[in-house]
Amino acid sequence: MRQPDELILEMQNGNEKAFARIYTLYSEALYGIVYSVVRDSDLAEETLQDVFIKIWNNSKSYDINKGRFFTWALNIARNTSIDATRSKAYKNSKKNLSTTNFVDIISSTDNLNKKTNSIGIAKFVERLKPVCIKIIDLLYFKGYTQVDAAKELEMPLGTIKTRNRNCIKELQMQVLG
Amino acid sequence: MTTTELIESGTLELYVCGALPQDEAQYVFEEIQKNKDVRSEVQRIENTLMNLSSEAAPALSVMNWTSILNAITRTRTLGKDTSSNTTNWGAITGWAAAIACVGGIFWMLNQNNELENQVTISTEERNMLEEELEASTDMLVANEALLDVIRSKDYKAYTLPGNQAVAPTAYSKVYFNNDTNVAYIDTKGLPEAPEGKVYQVWSLMLEPLTPTSMGLIDDNTLASNGVHKFENLKDAPQAFGITLEPAGGSESPTLSQLYTLGTTAP
Repeated sequence: MRQPDELILEMQNGNEKAFARIYTLYSEALYGIVYSVVRDSDLAEETLQDVFIKIWNNSKSYDINKGRFFTWALNIARNTSIDATRSKAYKNSKKNLSTTNFVDIISSTDNLNKKTNSIGIAKFVERLKPVCIKIIDLLYFKGYTQVDAAKELEMPLGTIKTRNRNCIKELQMQVLG
Repeated sequence: MTTTELIESGTLELYVCGALPQDEAQYVFEEIQKNKDVRSEVQRIENTLMNLSSEAAPALSVMNWTSILNAITRTRTLGKDTSSNTTNWGAITGWAAAIACVGGIFWMLNQNNELENQVTISTEERNMLEEELEASTDMLVANEALLDVIRSKDYKAYTLPGNQAVAPTAYSKVYFNNDTNVAYIDTKGLPEAPEGKVYQVWSLMLEPLTPTSMGLIDDNTLASNGVHKFENLKDAPQAFGITLEPAGGSESPTLSQLYTLGTTAP
């Protein structure tokens, strides 16, 4: 998808219709990020609302000449989600949950409303190498930097980079391109 | 670094994830602007990741967008409220213009009333002037008619001298037409009649002395400017006399109040 720069500029000028189109284009991808961190539908929806309210209120701080809009919105989504998990009530309710990642979520989610072939995707992502799952989970879903991910996975920086590329390329070529 | 090297390095994947340090991200951004292949690769990576996380998203309630819209609308409304604390010059100008307009209308109404009053006064003045003009014209006509009488060869003029006993300085003049038996009497030489009294004019036949009342010196006989006209005299009188009588006149002259008397004899 080409980045819709005109829509983004319109939104920055306060055009609600442009903002609605942005929501349609990006909400699902960002919701997946939020849900993978929060893992509670109600809280995830609330958090996603906060994410888009932040996108609207801070839209002028995004500079088309400095990076991808999706990457900018991705950062807001991850940070807002992490903030949402810091409340005491959240910690108490989730303390017994085992660590989950996007593969667990995709496998367990009832994806009848999805536009892609969900059953195929679920099967495919389940077959991803464990290292791919970990790398993509940390770098994309959890927002780790390259350095932090290298430390977490005890891998050299360069290895993280190339492995990440290969894992994404595999996804791209097989199913999600 | 060549384009292929950049694409193969895995840097673009980290760029889309937001995991690159700032300086490297800036370099990738510049390459995206310059190089179509890099741009396409970044878009492909972004699509893949967006599709992946979309798959991890449960069904999203349709009310979610409504809640966001309500929230941003409320924020905008509050923003407007805050801005309403600042001076609203548009509204102030509007009200000022409205007040000035109302003031202007009252001023114009006032002016209109004044002008209407002036028109009424002017109309009254014109009417008065017209009446005066009419009166002057009437008087001019009467005077001209009188002048015609005086100049006429048909009228003979007689002066009635004052009675030495009653009014030595008084006099009156009579213009008499023998053919028509019309007499004009000029009363300029008579003093003003006191209140409750009136001058009465008599025609006299001398042999025997027979006074006949011609009429009163009043508005009924006034021809013009102190000259009175008497018509329908019986015969050509031999003398004229003027007496002062009680208002309304008398049957016979009060000789003690005879002011002027004169004969028509040559």
